[in-house]
Amino acid sequence: MRSWSTCCSCSNGTAAMADPADASITPGAPFTAYREPVRAEWLDYNGHLNDASYAIVLSAAHELVLESLGLSAAYRASHQASMFTLETHIRFLAECSAGQILTAATQLVEADTKRLRLHSELYADEVLAATGESLYLHVDTVAGRSAPLPDERQARVDAMLAAHAGLPRPAHLGLGVGTRPAAATGAS
Amino acid sequence: MAERVTTPYEGRPAVWDDGAEIPAPLRLHETTAPPAWMDYNDHMSESCFLLAFGDSADAFFRFIGIDEAYRAAGHSLYTSQTHLHHRQEVSLGEPLVMTLQLLDHDRRRLHLYHEMRHGETDALIAMAEQLLVHVDTEAGRSSDMPEDLYEHVAAIRRAHAALPQPAVVGHPIAIRHSK
Repeated sequence: MRSWSTCCSCSNGTAAMADPADASITPGAPFTAYREPVRAEWLDYNGHLNDASYAIVLSAAHELVLESLGLSAAYRASHQASMFTLETHIRFLAECSAGQILTAATQLVEADTKRLRLHSELYADEVLAATGESLYLHVDTVAGRSAPLPDERQARVDAMLAAHAGLPRPAHLGLGVGTRPAAATGAS
Repeated sequence: MAERVTTPYEGRPAVWDDGAEIPAPLRLHETTAPPAWMDYNDHMSESCFLLAFGDSADAFFRFIGIDEAYRAAGHSLYTSQTHLHHRQEVSLGEPLVMTLQLLDHDRRRLHLYHEMRHGETDALIAMAEQLLVHVDTEAGRSSDMPEDLYEHVAAIRRAHAALPQPAVVGHPIAIRHSK
């Protein structure tokens, strides 16, 4: 298990340009607080966003959602509990270059008393560049095991679930890696 | 702070040895979790797991024949999808060993499975499933691998054919409800 918190030295955690509380829950609209230019240190030898940098960006976008739900760093300190990442599935759809503006549209697609499943569309200058889906588990960091969300946080999660219920479901939800329209025949 | 993302193997030319036995799985990369990968809690940040798997993939590319010269000639392998599974946290200085299994391939796609294990305890820390596509970088579209590269990939697949299919492969992300 892994803490979702910001990331390595490549990110300083200041991605949030908007106040996530203002953007938190709008019925019928995804969460869109994340907005940041592509940074030079995220690029590879080719001048394109490195694979791991997509993970940095998606993680930062998802952290803003968790922050709006009251489940970010301050919560960790006050409640001795935190959201841990169990899984992340990224689909790489387009290259991103220096100077492009990255934005994300995030949907809470599923939740129960301990777990959240977020899906984001990541855009570079408004072109869809990737999708990212992550599963988070609420962990009591003292006991070192999963625990139900406190009622007040659960209420916020339920409110976001309701607000996002009418959004179209991404077509690839529920498909694993390699589960896709068949192309050439496998050789093995 | 680095000016850009680099890998430990940059500049190292690809070398394929036709006579060499192919390990199953491949073990091409190990590292020690550096300070730059730690978050405020002194645990490895999640995106850095993908850096580590990416370095192992880069070593794999050089193993099969894809290096700077190959890329400069207009072809490369691009990642189409990555699915990460986290099992344990990593602390500063812990030794990490990566393994790589070729699950499947065709003329232009590779399906890979990576594991990250603790270098001393062998505990499973994380896994990554990846789909890669061979591309013509000028045309910006997928293209068949050249014959020699394809033969290397096919030889690895033959060497890996007897490995068991990892349990997480092909599974979507979902909240699995008990009861």
